Amino acid sequence: MSSLRRPALRTLAAAGAAVALLAVAGCGGSNSDAGSADGTITLTVKTFSQFGYEELYKQFEASHPNIRIKQENIAKLADYTPKLQQWLTAGSGAGDVVALEEGILVKLMAKPDQFVNLLDHDAAAVRNNFLEWKWKQALTADGRKLVGLGTDVGAQGMCYRTDLFAKAGLPTDRAQVGALWPSWDDYLATGKRFAAAGTGASFFDTAGGIYQNILMQQGDTTYFDRENNLIVDSNPGVRSAWDRTVAMIGAGLSGKLQMWGPAWNAGFKKGTFATVPCPAWMLGIIEDQAGPENAGKWDVARVPGEGAVRGGSFLAVPAQSKHPKEAADLVKFLTSPQGQIAAFKAKNNFPSSPQAIDDPAVSGAVNAYFNNAPVGTIFGQSAKLLEPVYLGPDNQVVGDAVGDALTAVEQGKLSPDEAWTKAIADARRAVDK
Amino acid sequence: MRHRGNSLVYFTLVVSLVLSVFPLYWLFVVATRSNDVIGEMPPPLVPGGNLGENIRRLFGPDAEAAHFARGLVNSGIAAVSVTVSVVFFSSLAGFAFAKLRFRGRNALLIAVLATMMVPVQMGIVPLYMVMVKLGWQNQLQAVIVPFLVSAFGVFLMRQYAERAVPDELIEAARLDGCTTFGLFVRVVSPALRPGAAVLGLFTFMATWNEFLWPLAVLEADNPTVQFSLSQLATQYYTDYTLMFTGTLIATVPLLVVFVLFGRQLVSGIMDGAVRS
Amino acid sequence: MSAEAPPRPVRTSPAPAGASPASRLSRWNRFDLHGSPYVFIAPFFVLFAMFGFFPLVYTAWVSLRAWDLTGDGGFVGLGNYSRLMGDPDFWNAVLNTLGLFVLATVPQLLMALVIAALLNRPIRALLMFRLAVLAPIVTSVAAVAIVFGQLYGRDTGMVNGVLGLIGVDAIDWQASKTSSWIAVASMVNWRWTGYNALIYLAAMQAIPRDLYEAAQLDGAGAVRQFRSVTVPLIRPALVFTVVMSTIGGMQLFTEPLLFGQGDVSGGSLRQFQTVAMYMFEQSFQNFDYGYGSAIAWTIFVLTVIAGVVNALISRRLRGGTR
Repeated sequence: MSSLRRPALRTLAAAGAAVALLAVAGCGGSNSDAGSADGTITLTVKTFSQFGYEELYKQFEASHPNIRIKQENIAKLADYTPKLQQWLTAGSGAGDVVALEEGILVKLMAKPDQFVNLLDHDAAAVRNNFLEWKWKQALTADGRKLVGLGTDVGAQGMCYRTDLFAKAGLPTDRAQVGALWPSWDDYLATGKRFAAAGTGASFFDTAGGIYQNILMQQGDTTYFDRENNLIVDSNPGVRSAWDRTVAMIGAGLSGKLQMWGPAWNAGFKKGTFATVPCPAWMLGIIEDQAGPENAGKWDVARVPGEGAVRGGSFLAVPAQSKHPKEAADLVKFLTSPQGQIAAFKAKNNFPSSPQAIDDPAVSGAVNAYFNNAPVGTIFGQSAKLLEPVYLGPDNQVVGDAVGDALTAVEQGKLSPDEAWTKAIADARRAVDK
Repeated sequence: MRHRGNSLVYFTLVVSLVLSVFPLYWLFVVATRSNDVIGEMPPPLVPGGNLGENIRRLFGPDAEAAHFARGLVNSGIAAVSVTVSVVFFSSLAGFAFAKLRFRGRNALLIAVLATMMVPVQMGIVPLYMVMVKLGWQNQLQAVIVPFLVSAFGVFLMRQYAERAVPDELIEAARLDGCTTFGLFVRVVSPALRPGAAVLGLFTFMATWNEFLWPLAVLEADNPTVQFSLSQLATQYYTDYTLMFTGTLIATVPLLVVFVLFGRQLVSGIMDGAVRS
Repeated sequence: MSAEAPPRPVRTSPAPAGASPASRLSRWNRFDLHGSPYVFIAPFFVLFAMFGFFPLVYTAWVSLRAWDLTGDGGFVGLGNYSRLMGDPDFWNAVLNTLGLFVLATVPQLLMALVIAALLNRPIRALLMFRLAVLAPIVTSVAAVAIVFGQLYGRDTGMVNGVLGLIGVDAIDWQASKTSSWIAVASMVNWRWTGYNALIYLAAMQAIPRDLYEAAQLDGAGAVRQFRSVTVPLIRPALVFTVVMSTIGGMQLFTEPLLFGQGDVSGGSLRQFQTVAMYMFEQSFQNFDYGYGSAIAWTIFVLTVIAGVVNALISRRLRGGTR
């Protein structure tokens, strides 16, 4: 075969060389024309999922008559991420404003040159518009470069089924339910009471979500210190979150479901689990999944421990942008307290701006499906209580390794000790390549 | 004896029929109901009455961001152009590889095969860079032109032509003064028709169902149908009914195409049946 | 049709000597004979050169560099490849890919052959059966994901429901290698059996009916006819499907991804992660584009090796039957 392959490859080489040259040394990538004769410029905004900016674009266009805004949205983050990578690698396609999910932002912080430094565009003046940790996540360690401005935060509550709680002889009022679990140890104790009642449902959906919430409350670092050294095995906070989660699995509290899988989705309707940590935007999903016949069966209480947040996004201006100044202005406008309030009203994206969180439009928000729960207050407390946590560029890879190990414990494939050893080894391997 | 053989044939066929068709039927059932059928146990097997409403939602403001109608048109244009081109060029090249003698034939055929062994997902970023140079980002030709030929098609037609085109037929036509191309048009292509029908069917399906590359090079306002379907979801939540309704609508053209191409195959069989 | 072609002497020279237009004609003839094969295959190579070749070379170039989401980190020689050789996750993915390949391809091609043979007979409701067997081809991946998610669900899945009736405990299909391989292989078999059956069917159509009639006269039954007439005569199609299944098997991606509900790591312990999934995980989830490119080229080489092995095996088989 090798004797056959060689001429084949030579043929290929000859045939393709010319085109490869063309492609490499061809015309200098003239990007889709963003300016026109009458001085109007078009800003392209790349987003995923739902940012709820449509009204804001109109306002911005009204106050900036020479600017048109074009949003290109991709519904799923999993579809958006490879595109983002392809735009950055090809040096074209990223438009003027890109949305960056937290996990991607922390990764990009390692080499922020692909984005415009927003501090060069007077972003320092809006610093107090953001929760401190949100601002710092997009700021380089030396404090000189700001990659993005925060949009929403995944502030957490604890959603629970009132009918299952009643069946297990637990209180159903959200204040009393919140009082059941000031800490995660109390949450475990409540879970044991629930399990003993034999309702047929599990106490929570999956261990991964619980673990993540505990972890984010364990001090200001998780898997990496601020010098980006891997401290997953030496940070007592990580071990503590792990041990508590493993204890809950051991007590049989986990439904061992795969998040976003069909059984998990159906579980909201059928009540196969009694509690689930829920960010603000998840309330809409629960309402859709559980359906109108279950209205009032779901409610939301405070999350155990001191506040919790997962995820959230940022807006940044790619260095590729032809109009960095206008794009930076747009980013500042969209992430302003008023912009965040509008996004919350449109799509339930919970603000990362303290002014927005305290605004009556947010703090006074109630959710009818959840027995008129005062969601604005519950999530607002959660977001403001949280101490800033440093994540580090390889946070997601290590997080995946630990999460997979927890799933293996749930599946009974590994003992907790084996799983821990494996998680540490996988994390090390992923980090020193 | 003969009777038992026949019932075994029908039994096997009926079993494969049920297994094959069930997901398609289930697709139909979900498209006619509302979201609550997902995850229900036992799953509902009877169609509901929501199909009209679901279709209205699919083309209405609910699903505006998915640009579904645009996606259907784009995919139609792409699939037809790619199919016509692939069938023609593959028949031509497949015939040449199978029946004509020329220097470097084996090496070139292996080169064709080798191009299929490159993992598809990997080509996306560099191919996108080529599109940037051509200025074809978010242009429909970006999902057409690179696919106008196919190594799969060349190989399939080569294998098919090897048996389906008798050498005597070619020699006879040459003696009648046919040029090679005339030979291809008048003698070879009729013999290749069933194979070409299969290739056309596969190519249409593959182009219609392609997802990764359209997602990479197009944007949401100018999608193909699969891209559009994926836009019916949000990051975390999938409206299954809407998606299944979209999938159902998107499947109809495939069934039409199947019948069109399928006739080639079926008529072949019928001839045989009549003759024997 | 072939019977109509009268037997004629081969390769007489059609061009009468002398006249000048005729010699032009004969030059044209020579070009037609020697040149047209290249013209016929040229479109493929031209378009491949334009759109296929650069990605190939570019990927090779990137595979020699450290390259992540933050951009090009410089030349590292074969560093990515040597890291790959010592990467247990990669070898695990290779094992999964080969295991799934065996579990999926062999039964798939055998079933396809049987189904094609059955569909190649004059039977009642032929069109319906043909359409039906091909239904998986037109079923979109979304429907496949939902249906198989339901079938192999741990708590409420239909398969576990049926197993429960005969007293087998519920299986967590994703949890172990064996069970996940069986589930994924069943998805692959489901999606591609009809596809291969159609290729066989088209090949069977090209077999002249009189060969069967002759075999019948010799007293050969249906099974015997299948073995001594059908199989040898559709050998090019068999080779085609074996090669294509090898390529498809080495690049298996969609079905295991759907089975894991989109989890590209293929289970908590990577029970069903294939090499293509590992490549995707490294390139597009961990953003290690250089490493992902090295994996891509390694897959390419592995596919070539698998292709050679299968070519050798099928040649051996050919010798054996003869």
